[in-house]
Amino acid sequence: MKRLLHTLLLLFVAGMAYSQEGIDSLIAIDEVAIVGRRPMKQIGVQRTEFESVALQEHIALSMADVLTYNSSVFVKNYGRATLSTVAFRGTSPSHTQVLWNGMKLNSPMLGMTDFSMIPSYFIDEASLLHGSSSISETGGGLGGAVKLATRPKEYEGFHLQFVQGVGSFSTFDEYLQLGYGNDRWQLSTRLVYATSPNDYKYVNRDKKLNIYDEEHNIIDQYHPTERNRNGAFKDFHALQEIYYRLTDRDRLSLTAWYTGTNRELPMISTSYAEDEQIENRQREETLRALLGWERIASVGRLTAQAGYIHSWSAYDRRITGAGISEGEAESESGGLPDGTMEYSRNRQHTLYGHLSGEYLPSERWLFSGEVTAHHHMSQSKGKEVIDSDGTHRLGLDKERTELTATATARWRATPWLGVGLTLREELYGEEFSPLIPALFLDGELIRGGRLVLKGSLSRNYRFPTLTDLYFQPGGNPDLRPEKGWSYDVGMDCRLGNEEPLAFHGSLTWFDSHIEDWILWYPKSMGYYTPENVKEVHSYGIEVESSLSWRPTRDWLVALHGSYAWTPSLNEGDPFSSADRSVGKQLPYVPEHSASATLRAGWRRWELSYKWCAYSERYTLSSNGSSITGTLDSYALSNLSLARTCSLAWCDLSLRGAINNLFNKEYVTVLSRPMPGINYEIFIGITPKWGKGRNQ
Amino acid sequence: MKRLLYALGWLLLATMLCQCSDDDNNTPPIDPVETPQGLFVINAGNYNTSNASLTFYDPVGNGYDNEVFAKQNGYKLGDTAQSMSIHNGLGWIVVNNSHILYAIDLKTLKEKGRITGINSPRYICFLSNEKAYVSAMYGNQLTIINPKTYAIIGSITVPKNTAIGNTGSTEEMVLIGKYLYVTCWSYEKNIVKIDTTTDEVVGVLEVGIQPSSLVADRNGKLWTICDGGYEGSPVGYAAPTLCRINPETMSVEACYAFTKGDYLSKVRINGTGDQLYWLNNGLPYRMDISATELPSTVAFETEGYLYALTIDPENNDIYVADAIDYQQAGIIYRYSATGKPLVSFYAGVIPTEFCWNK
Repeated sequence: MKRLLHTLLLLFVAGMAYSQEGIDSLIAIDEVAIVGRRPMKQIGVQRTEFESVALQEHIALSMADVLTYNSSVFVKNYGRATLSTVAFRGTSPSHTQVLWNGMKLNSPMLGMTDFSMIPSYFIDEASLLHGSSSISETGGGLGGAVKLATRPKEYEGFHLQFVQGVGSFSTFDEYLQLGYGNDRWQLSTRLVYATSPNDYKYVNRDKKLNIYDEEHNIIDQYHPTERNRNGAFKDFHALQEIYYRLTDRDRLSLTAWYTGTNRELPMISTSYAEDEQIENRQREETLRALLGWERIASVGRLTAQAGYIHSWSAYDRRITGAGISEGEAESESGGLPDGTMEYSRNRQHTLYGHLSGEYLPSERWLFSGEVTAHHHMSQSKGKEVIDSDGTHRLGLDKERTELTATATARWRATPWLGVGLTLREELYGEEFSPLIPALFLDGELIRGGRLVLKGSLSRNYRFPTLTDLYFQPGGNPDLRPEKGWSYDVGMDCRLGNEEPLAFHGSLTWFDSHIEDWILWYPKSMGYYTPENVKEVHSYGIEVESSLSWRPTRDWLVALHGSYAWTPSLNEGDPFSSADRSVGKQLPYVPEHSASATLRAGWRRWELSYKWCAYSERYTLSSNGSSITGTLDSYALSNLSLARTCSLAWCDLSLRGAINNLFNKEYVTVLSRPMPGINYEIFIGITPKWGKGRNQ
Repeated sequence: MKRLLYALGWLLLATMLCQCSDDDNNTPPIDPVETPQGLFVINAGNYNTSNASLTFYDPVGNGYDNEVFAKQNGYKLGDTAQSMSIHNGLGWIVVNNSHILYAIDLKTLKEKGRITGINSPRYICFLSNEKAYVSAMYGNQLTIINPKTYAIIGSITVPKNTAIGNTGSTEEMVLIGKYLYVTCWSYEKNIVKIDTTTDEVVGVLEVGIQPSSLVADRNGKLWTICDGGYEGSPVGYAAPTLCRINPETMSVEACYAFTKGDYLSKVRINGTGDQLYWLNNGLPYRMDISATELPSTVAFETEGYLYALTIDPENNDIYVADAIDYQQAGIIYRYSATGKPLVSFYAGVIPTEFCWNK
């Protein structure tokens, strides 16, 4: 075991967490949590939990950044502060379900979630539920689910924290947190505002500029150093939380999260358009509000939630400049603005209701059940749609109610054997899913949770989105739901529940088949249409490990590492005899992905090193190697150093971060260059207000 | 330290598998620089993705090479290549969403010059060594360029469908005598006639919903396909048509209607100007210019869903392209004039147009 430990220590690298080591220290550390007994709720569950230090390292991080450096899921970035999607186990971004305090964040229209729009400072708890393990929480997670939550702080009196960040490319990040708490109330307001022209420099390998002689003959060519053009962003987020303790057992909560973004979409690297020639802009305003009640008792828990989401988004791609008037960009009705090439307006209202309960009649049984309702009202307008009778209508104007019911029983048959069964039923509009079962097993091979064998087996379903079904032109009302079977088996090892050394590692094999995979194909008429075309077999290995070492009271070193091997193969029928995509890896799914973090804390100092790597990705379904058919593998490193000071009236924190430490030239998506080495500095101030210091 | 960190990092990764392309077709690769006579295939690539490419095929030696532009020039062709035209020993490639025109030497395939500053260019039509017109997907105009100096020297504004707040569009062009004829395709209905001596619009013909491709036959008549739009399109939705136009009088002489919902594209003509070809729902059709009704059967049996078509101007061999799933290299099938399958080869992603260098 010692040798195994050493090998794992060498191979897997890792993260660490802070804890409050005293009121005068902001840098403090949580070590790897070691529990003597595995919670009933986690019987057979493959779960990756993010530590708060990863979520709240600094204010400029989005959840896309956190997932990139702290998990092995594939984060597909179209640029800095640009669309970032997440895919598990070789599936697509719409197969990743995202929950925020239980409420779905996936766009009901598009199915996916943009993780660059989620500031990690707004998230207090985050975890990944891999494959079948998502079924107890949500449906449609053919790859898995990302579970995000906010939690009440433990304020006593007033609290204020302000952080100012300044970074390369004239990037400014501001963060303000106001809090108040007493025995009954906990109030918190968090504000984040980030702006940047985002005009980072890169050597454009996709272009060459010419040098001419006087007779216009090309005498030389060179790859120009360009700036990321048209990439400016302004993001504002506000999160208001109110928690009220009704009784010792009952708690009420109100959480509201507003997002307002105005982002340009950067030009592709092969564009020779002048900066002022084309405007390419995306705007979004979203409000998510959630009212909750929770009762906790010795034999269980009851939760009720009601929520509302309003989201408005706009996308404009317009020719600007000479000859084009400054048209009204909104144009909610009537004709489109002058020079419009692409245009869309989306409005979304979602009503949400949720009831759940857990009942623990004995130490050996846990029953839980939940009923969830989402009612979506979606409107989308692209280029106008006009019926044959001359009626103007929207590209999409649909409502859908989605009801789900889940029942789970977990049984610890013996002290070393746990079994769980989840049954799930979904109703989307008027269509019922078949019964979705998931079976979980958990066997303790070494007592105290030191070595646990676990596995799960499930069926899963994902219904087409409203856009898939109904968007005009292109929507296909005849689409079938995507359906899959998957299983996984793994081992979980926890060692050293006493200081100074603690280790946690897991190794999982997974295998899943997805049928009727929905893909959008270009129709010859100039629009895309979705079809159930693919059958995908994905399988592979996920490894995760973390280790913390506290040699003395002043020191703590923590490592966290993850790795995934994810072949994801198209096993559908060929389009024609010429189709070379069958049996090939899906485009943009790396076979290998890995991440690691190393954190070292000494007294008030903290050094953090983060690393991620992705293997080569294919851009084509046929996988063949060609100049644009493959994207190079890459590894990135970030380094940051932080220090806290405790003054008489306040705590100060200082952090300097270097991103892309080795100035790696890379793209995640073809012809979308990412920034090279860049720097950020953060200064935080937390006043001490008598009793109101943050405990 | 850097090397150590990388080494440690990559220790985590298993050896990556290298998947090589399996070009299991029956056409051997060649060096295009040695065989400049032949057929260029313009592979559009996926929109907003920058995987356009140029393929060269030698019909005599029966060899081909892919990505010839990038291989010879050392940089990518760009995003959404649309067309290529040959004039005065240079091949002009129009790359729509890169907003650039490249001129390449047909012997070396190396760039000789470029023109930028034209938004969403689609096709180019040469009038002389010093004058050419460039059409635009998003713009009711033709840009006038000087191919010799690589300069934009003017523009011509054409009428557009103002009722729907559109950008207007200009598409395929045919030059007959001193007049240029251009289809206005995207959300438009017109064919516009331009006097090239004055660069003024001298005629506008509303021919149908979205006239796309345009050819002239040996009698000097124009043929166009109106694709008919789609259900809910703001410009309307109708059965597609194949129309013969008298260019002098700018009048429709005959229109043949297809079934509503058919997808018509790429009307092309053989070297002698008497046989029309087009694609309907991915299948090839042929009609004599003197025919009085549409053909009831396909011109010849093919595989896949065809996306582009051309005819060898000398021997009337027919080349068609299947984009397969639009996410992999498309395949080109060559048939004899009688429809006998000859060879096939994989080109690039979404082969969209052809250009003969003869």
